[in-house]
Amino acid sequence: MGSSIRKAIELILSADPELLNILSTTGKVCVTSSILALVIGVPIGILLGAERFPGRRVLLVLNRTLIGMPPVVCGLLFYMLFSGVGPFRRLHLLFTVKLMIIAQVVLITPIIVGVMETFVADTAPALRETTRGLGFGRLKEYRLLINECLYSIFSAYLLSFARAIAEVGAVAMVGGAIAWKTNVMTTAIMMYTNRGSFTLGIALGLILLTLSLLVNVVLSLMQGRLNR
Amino acid sequence: MKAKAFSKTYGRRRVLELPELELAEGRITAVIGPNGSGKSTLAKVLAGIERADEKRPILPGVSVGYLAQKSFPFRMSTEKNILTNGNDPARAAALMKALSIDALAGQSAKKLSGGETARMALCRILMNRYDLLILDEPTTAMDMESTLAAEELIRETCHETGCAVLLITHSISQARRIADRVLVLQQGELIEQGECQAVLSAPGKEETRRFLDFYGL
Repeated sequence: MGSSIRKAIELILSADPELLNILSTTGKVCVTSSILALVIGVPIGILLGAERFPGRRVLLVLNRTLIGMPPVVCGLLFYMLFSGVGPFRRLHLLFTVKLMIIAQVVLITPIIVGVMETFVADTAPALRETTRGLGFGRLKEYRLLINECLYSIFSAYLLSFARAIAEVGAVAMVGGAIAWKTNVMTTAIMMYTNRGSFTLGIALGLILLTLSLLVNVVLSLMQGRLNR
Repeated sequence: MKAKAFSKTYGRRRVLELPELELAEGRITAVIGPNGSGKSTLAKVLAGIERADEKRPILPGVSVGYLAQKSFPFRMSTEKNILTNGNDPARAAALMKALSIDALAGQSAKKLSGGETARMALCRILMNRYDLLILDEPTTAMDMESTLAAEELIRETCHETGCAVLLITHSISQARRIADRVLVLQQGELIEQGECQAVLSAPGKEETRRFLDFYGL
């Protein structure tokens, strides 16, 4: 165990090419999918929280169901859609980083929608009473509402990035964990552990934890600034 | 200006049924009554925050400013909060000074105390001109010194701009100090209205007398 950790640290310090490739793929998948999910999820969450319209409750139930969707089910669904017998086979996206990103977006967006909806549903009535009392229009009302939401947007991003970086089921199924192509940190840890090669697995685990810690520290600092 | 007769029902419970109301410009009308008499509902319907059962505007063509019982401070400084309702920094500074929150201009409005938030919210609503200004218990969270300063500011604004002010209050003494006219509500009905001093000194209705007796006046 001790020697494995020592070797893992040596691997990190020597900038092993395979390790760098896995890190780069992980960064691409996690950053892109979490940003895309944020762009899609924040407006939907704000609308669901702030507005009352027919079908809203159905959408909320659907979103809560999607939050609890097991990643492997999401992976299976995309595998079936994009595999040789699926309706989207001609797009040739199976076992590519693009499809891994799409699957991650589908998994993460409901989390962002849920966080935003909860916050906005709690904040919007009081804010709206004030803005309408002041005679503000809808545009100004929404600008102020979004300003109130900045802290929650960062919280939602934090959650979604954490989910993306730790996710393994869906990306393994649609990416295939192909070395030098679609292998991300979680799938690589699984792959190397199965092979009995613990050194690279431990190195990746250490990096994953450090990255997760760094992202959380940075975002917490930003949240602190926003909350001032 | 005249507010049309209206009623308001929540579920099956009718909480308010009022005849046509006359709100005099340049005068302060206090609305008094026990808890649950419909004072805040009256304010919200007149402000357009809630719809009357009749589903038509109660005050067509009248610009209404409404200060809610619990004011919402936007996530920005106290001064910026006030400036959201009118880009006149000099007026904002004068209002903040009048209510002694000028030292808090740069502080985040979310960190103000209840009384300070109430003063900030009053400054914010007074930045703009409205035909009718509805203030729902604007001084409840304030201490006596701030309350008197706020009353002075409301009176000044009313006289200078000529707007009608509808002041929802629990305090009979506040109504006596500041209001020209008074409306007495009970269980969603207007039981008495008239000149403030006359109604409070010699109420014409037994219900009003009982309500005032309850408050020891």
